[in-house]
Amino acid sequence: MSLEEPEPSPTAVAEPPSTGDEIAELLDGLVIDRESHLNAPGMVIRPDSVQVALRRLRDNAGFDHLSCVTAEERTDRYESIYHLTSFDDRQREVSIIVPVPKDNPVSESAAPVFRTADWHEREAYDLVGIEYDNHPDLRRILLPETWQGHPLSLDYDQDRPQIVTLSEWENPLAEDHREDEGDTMYVNIGPHHPATHGVLHVKTVLDGEQVADVDPDIGYLHRCEEQVCQSKTYRHQIMPYPDRWDYASSGLLNEWAYARAAEDLNDIEVPEYAQVIRTMGAEICRIASHMLAVGTFALDVYGDFTAIFMYAMRDREKAQKILEDLTGQRMMFNYFRLGGVVWDLPDPRTEFFETIRDFLDELPQALEEYHDLISSNEILQVRTIDTGVLPPEEAKSYGATGPVARASGIDYDLRRDDPYGYYDQLEWDVVTEDGCDNFSRLLVRLREVEESAKIIDQCVDLLEDWPEEERTIQSNVPRTLRPEDNAEVYRAVEGAKGELGIYIRGDGTEQPGRFKIRSPCFSNLQTLPEMSNGEYIPDMIASLGSLDIVLGEVDR
Amino acid sequence: MPVTLQSKTLLPETIANLLGLSGVAGDIVGGVIGAIIIANLLLVQTAVAGPWAKRKITAAFTNRIAVNRIGPFGLLVIVADSVRLLSKELIIPENVDRPAWDLGPLIIPFSALLGFAVIPMGNGIHLADPETGIVFVFAVSSIASVGLIMMGYASNNKFSLLGGLRAIASNIAYEIPLVVTAASVIIFTGTLQMSEIVAQQAQPLFSIAGVTIPQWFAFVNPFAFVLFIIANLAEVGRNPFDIPEAPTEIVAGYQTEYSSVYFVLIYLGEFIHIFLGGAIATTLFLGGPAGPVLPGFIWFTVKIWMFYLFTQWVRSAIPRLRVDQFLDVGWKGMLVLSFANLALTAIIVGVIR
Repeated sequence: MSLEEPEPSPTAVAEPPSTGDEIAELLDGLVIDRESHLNAPGMVIRPDSVQVALRRLRDNAGFDHLSCVTAEERTDRYESIYHLTSFDDRQREVSIIVPVPKDNPVSESAAPVFRTADWHEREAYDLVGIEYDNHPDLRRILLPETWQGHPLSLDYDQDRPQIVTLSEWENPLAEDHREDEGDTMYVNIGPHHPATHGVLHVKTVLDGEQVADVDPDIGYLHRCEEQVCQSKTYRHQIMPYPDRWDYASSGLLNEWAYARAAEDLNDIEVPEYAQVIRTMGAEICRIASHMLAVGTFALDVYGDFTAIFMYAMRDREKAQKILEDLTGQRMMFNYFRLGGVVWDLPDPRTEFFETIRDFLDELPQALEEYHDLISSNEILQVRTIDTGVLPPEEAKSYGATGPVARASGIDYDLRRDDPYGYYDQLEWDVVTEDGCDNFSRLLVRLREVEESAKIIDQCVDLLEDWPEEERTIQSNVPRTLRPEDNAEVYRAVEGAKGELGIYIRGDGTEQPGRFKIRSPCFSNLQTLPEMSNGEYIPDMIASLGSLDIVLGEVDR
Repeated sequence: MPVTLQSKTLLPETIANLLGLSGVAGDIVGGVIGAIIIANLLLVQTAVAGPWAKRKITAAFTNRIAVNRIGPFGLLVIVADSVRLLSKELIIPENVDRPAWDLGPLIIPFSALLGFAVIPMGNGIHLADPETGIVFVFAVSSIASVGLIMMGYASNNKFSLLGGLRAIASNIAYEIPLVVTAASVIIFTGTLQMSEIVAQQAQPLFSIAGVTIPQWFAFVNPFAFVLFIIANLAEVGRNPFDIPEAPTEIVAGYQTEYSSVYFVLIYLGEFIHIFLGGAIATTLFLGGPAGPVLPGFIWFTVKIWMFYLFTQWVRSAIPRLRVDQFLDVGWKGMLVLSFANLALTAIIVGVIR
């Protein structure tokens, strides 16, 4: 088949194509139509040429990051959109649009080219109902196997009862007894297990103490977040929901993801003063989130050694207090607005700045304690170095981002590579480690806390000196926002866990026609089998902890 | 003969004399009452250690306050917790292998309590003093392993099975260094009898400025003492050697399916095992109930509580090893070192004599 033919790559040497025309030329003969998304050129291709197109883009044009797959049922067709970008140059983007007819919604799978497409296409199949040819394992992913219908499809009957009798439902213990003569043992780790960080179910096959196979089973915390957002208006109603995706202190980072996509879609400017406040708030959230990640990871590895967890919670609490002062809330901030933030810094400002400065001053000593307790502990090093190894190539193929990717030596951070907010005007570094193992992921988080502290410090400096008359917290945004019909945008921010992307398609009304969340945890969790097959159970648990997933964001 | 700290009469005999009984009836009544006294002494200590001291100690290490609401220093939480634990529903899962499932939790505390029968606790609190005392202690405390594997196997739960297997693996790996290290003490004493081992440690080792340092084997052979304490820690399954339970990995290991009274029994057994471990270490290395000024029983209690405190300290300060690393330490480290210690001790003792 032509799919397997090696592509001639004269273009690889030259400047990689980034404009629509250059990409269309590269995809010569495959493109049947062109579209224009706000963030990238869109290439419409036939459903049977997905693999050849993606492979050509990956190998010849450096589009090595399949950030997201959005699927949708339109009135006349089904559509899958592959949002491609590059780890080396995040601002080069292209959307590959694959329409399939209503009566036969079958599209070629991208999973052989990008392994991250595996789960993304399963989700598209589950929720929208597109089938993917050649997919390695096309099962439902969020909903139970017995679910009738596809909830995001247009003719979905919401009133249809989904009651499944016990006899019809697969006996959850049935797999317990498979392979009577085999040497392996099947164990359900979760959904109720001390180390799964939420309701995650890891179907594990053990060979003695070693992991032969793991299959994360997600969806226990699926709350239809995408559909909720599709039924709310852009201006005010959507903003509270992002706080509920990654609820472990990443609220402002999530809000920023929606704000960024919606502001680009509606062409809204954000005043500089608000950008600085956003940047500061987001980085405090990142510190709080990393503290929790480090504390729970140590708990997973250390067992009853709860001291480090208490220390991490103590420092996270300080960050929480600052966020509470800033937003009035501890978890569900709802602080950002399209075009700025909801209110200015709390009065008296000097006291607020003092609190932040105190926090930043104490942070180096706290981090020193963490290094004493965790990263320089020999037993922890024995436990974590060279376990849960995720080589960079695998990480890229799985679409791993955030600290997970950076610990595999991938120098990729949206704050620098696709600048937003005030990041490009501040002095800070992207942290990478080359170890690819659990220990590196721990180190990356600890070091990122230092970088975040640097950013916050500079933001406080800026805010202190900001002239009073120029403190505009919101730009003038119309009461109702109605982006044009078929205006499409995919924008991402660097969340605490990685690349948090939002795809919105406007349909001419004040509610999104399609709202898709690209969750970093979802893609990162997909790497678990890669990291833990062949390792011991404790290492699998440690790897799971080092991924720092929040199930609210995985399942959405 | 060295001067003995031990009164020559054992506890059952004392009780029989007090009651004015003699012969077989005196032996039986004295023995039963003595056993009841000792068992209750330990149960009281366990009650303090489990629901109260453990929480307080861990909280102190992790910058928390812990129980402080009920009674002075929160001590009445012991009563509250006992009522709570005993009034919980005893859930018996389907298809568990009874009566093995019921016997497991009983074996664990009783094996530990049996060990105390031969431990000299000072002030004549000493139930029996057979010539093979130390062997008896190791023998009965190892019966607990049988209980662990019964629980692991009978629970019809894979986490329990894994926990049971891990418990056996760790017990085998660390029992040998434990006994071999104890044997190095026996080379010094030349006897297995507990009262004799204690008596020999009362002899002076040397004197500095009028203070006489006794010949405790912890001073004579500190290396063996350290080895013994580490092996003991693994034997009682405390961190960093709590591999059989490892809550973040295999939920609770062999005790996953146990609730209510059985849960209490298992924890009771674990705490008594810690105390027994402390008692063996005290008898072999720390001069038993010997100590200045205070009565022997107080010193004995202080010493076993020091060991308990040590286990909780280690629990709060040292991460858990992975199961393969844990076994590596046992087979490749502890075993070799304990045999080296045994051989060296044998040579030194041989040369001195």
